[in-house]
Amino acid sequence: MKSISLYVDKDTYLTRMHPFTKLCYILTAVVASLIAGKLWAFAIFIGISLVMLISGKIMKKVFPLIAFSFTILITIFLIHGLFNHENANLMFQLGPLKFYREGMMYALRISCNVLNMLLAFAVFVLTTKPAELVEDLEQAGFSPKIGYVISSVFQIVPQMSGTMNTIMDAQRSRGLETEGNLITRAKSFLPLISPVVMSSLINTRERAIALEIRGFEAGQKKTYLREGKMKTSDRVLCLVMAVVIAGAIVVRIVF
Amino acid sequence: MAYIKVENLKYRYPNTTKLALDGLDFEIEKGSFVGIIGENGAGKSTLCQAFNGLVPGFFKGAYGGKVLIEDTEVAKTTVSKLCQKVGLVFQNPFNQLSGAKETVFEEIAFGLQNFGVPKEEMISRVDEVMELLDIAAYRDRNPFDLSGGQMQRVALAGILAMKPEVIVLDEPTSQLDPAGSEEVFAAVDKLAKSGITIIMVEQKLEKLAEYCDKILLLHQGKQIVFDTPEQIFSRADLQSYGVNPPAYTRICQAFGVKKENGCYPASLKDALALKDLFPGEEAFCQEKVLLDNNKDMKNKNGQIEDSLTTDESMELTISCKKNVFDIEHLEFQYLENVPVLQDINFTIDHRPTAIIGQNGAGKTTLVKLLKGLLKPVGGSIYYGESDMAEKTVAMLAGEIGYVFQNPDDQIFKYHVIDEVMFGPQNIGMTKEQAKEKAVAALKLVGLEQLADENPYDLELSERKLVAIASVLAMDTKVLILDEPTIAQDWKGRKIIQKMIRDLSSQGKTVIAILHDMDFVAESFERVIVMAHGKVLADGTKEEVFAQKDILGQARIDQPYLTKLCQQLGYKKLYFSLKD
Repeated sequence: MKSISLYVDKDTYLTRMHPFTKLCYILTAVVASLIAGKLWAFAIFIGISLVMLISGKIMKKVFPLIAFSFTILITIFLIHGLFNHENANLMFQLGPLKFYREGMMYALRISCNVLNMLLAFAVFVLTTKPAELVEDLEQAGFSPKIGYVISSVFQIVPQMSGTMNTIMDAQRSRGLETEGNLITRAKSFLPLISPVVMSSLINTRERAIALEIRGFEAGQKKTYLREGKMKTSDRVLCLVMAVVIAGAIVVRIVF
Repeated sequence: MAYIKVENLKYRYPNTTKLALDGLDFEIEKGSFVGIIGENGAGKSTLCQAFNGLVPGFFKGAYGGKVLIEDTEVAKTTVSKLCQKVGLVFQNPFNQLSGAKETVFEEIAFGLQNFGVPKEEMISRVDEVMELLDIAAYRDRNPFDLSGGQMQRVALAGILAMKPEVIVLDEPTSQLDPAGSEEVFAAVDKLAKSGITIIMVEQKLEKLAEYCDKILLLHQGKQIVFDTPEQIFSRADLQSYGVNPPAYTRICQAFGVKKENGCYPASLKDALALKDLFPGEEAFCQEKVLLDNNKDMKNKNGQIEDSLTTDESMELTISCKKNVFDIEHLEFQYLENVPVLQDINFTIDHRPTAIIGQNGAGKTTLVKLLKGLLKPVGGSIYYGESDMAEKTVAMLAGEIGYVFQNPDDQIFKYHVIDEVMFGPQNIGMTKEQAKEKAVAALKLVGLEQLADENPYDLELSERKLVAIASVLAMDTKVLILDEPTIAQDWKGRKIIQKMIRDLSSQGKTVIAILHDMDFVAESFERVIVMAHGKVLADGTKEEVFAQKDILGQARIDQPYLTKLCQQLGYKKLYFSLKD
């Protein structure tokens, strides 16, 4: 089944790391670099993220993300380099286009910020199973009902798209032309909606029964197949990151 | 004292006027295996849900009487409390999965988690039930990637792991292949012997007769009788309740083979125990009690040709001789390097053809290719003279009709009649023509009185017939049916059987995927056996059902009737009884 989660199934130290530790890392990377407010702080965290992505063997998956963000970043450089209202000192000239130092620095700061967040999130998203995260959250006291909703989305959305394909097949079988130009396709989309919705509703009712008869509402304390406890290494890492944030505050105040 | 006690149980669904259950009164002993039979709409599923409190707890409605399980009164206990005592497995395996777990192992553990079973015990229990139901091989697969039969066993495992004292199964094998359903029955029987009480609704009466201690016959919500299988199946009025006795009982009835207690044997074992009472092969051939179906068909064809003018009959013969489909070196795969079909070669002619085989053998994939919904990865399929690869599905819609396995995938109008008219109108018929065709098609499947209903309000079995009618109305030359007998009771099966005969006598080609071998034997001439993406055998049903080793490889059984006749020592194969 096609999955909609971005998780890459590889057994590395990153996938084994507790999801909370990785969440902690996102928090640290974003907050610490913002608090410190120095470009080198951004550079350090971007560097750390890149090292993690490479050592976690998932760099390949990040390239499309980076490539996509670059299209946006380039526009930011163009707009601010050319038109920022604080522009005063000319940096360089490309034909008739004048790029100014202030605008370029501003754009650089935004870009670092975006890239930093993107890479930190990538570390988390690409190495964490949604189901595992939800389980850990539940064990930390999160409501199992909301947990169920989140993890079922990851199962049910691909199924719905499967149902949609089957229904489309059924309609093609009965002579509805679904292949061809845009108008034909758009026309064939309308009759899809009601069976997809109806069959989801029917399924939902049956699934409600299925959950009921497996004691979802039993109200007992749930147990889990996986211990959600953080390992010592996870605890140490979290502690280190707390220190880093504190350090960032110091940098902010002192420098 | 009886373990389960049902006292004057009455129930009516909200917003209806008719009682779904009307005055049921019976007792079930601990550890017994009880079957529930009756035609569609008899109240079987409702009764199943009354055992674990879904009726009335979940569905509400008007409730009277009592259901006692040990000392617990069902109506006064919550479902989540009862479900540790009473497990329920229902028809559609897909909707029984929690929908939140990524592996089979976790899926089975879901119920245990909810009841706070400690981790070690959880793992050992899940391992145990996986072993019991033979699903350990799928332990790390995504449950939704499994085939229907595998999924159903996962669903059953999820319930079993909770160690209930009673397991209620509502047609658990309707979507499984013969071997798969035999596995479920055997597993369930093992459970019954270990002291778990089993209550099972099932259309496969031969199986119920073999395993059940007692059977409850329902009709329109009323309890007709609660007795041993042989007593029930020996009743002369059984068919008036929409139930056809099992094949073994029918054959014994035909020969007047009775047990000492005056009942007809209901299972193969019982019938064979009375072997001496059956006549010799020659004797019944002369009596013509058993008809060789092949001859019967030939006679029929003969009659048809007689009634036609010579020109028409010539035309019919010519068109019959032509191949409908030519399949050459067909290959197909959904994922790279995971072949689903490998080097398939055969032709399909006018004869009604059944495709049989295990779940996951590639049957549905094959018919989807014939319909053009999938395109071959290698090789080719010719429909008549034209290559299928060059046509869109909609272009072929008027030529090839295809009824999906799950009717809910193809129903989308709010009135049955509109639904049935949709196809004909798409292929260029006027509204009047379409209506005419639609009414005729509904009549053929016996649903003309439901034309103005909303299809979503109908029973699954009726929806399935609506889906069939909606394709029938298109009057295609080829009709492909994917497991048409699912959820059908005896009446529904008779309707489909008659439809197949009618179509084929009109010179149309009917191709069907089936798991019900007796239905295959009674209605089809040609049989194709598939396993692991390959064709194992292809020929007339006489040829195919004689090859026991191939049937074994494909994990298929002979039809019940054929099996009994063979074990009685008869040389020829027999497929159906004269009415």
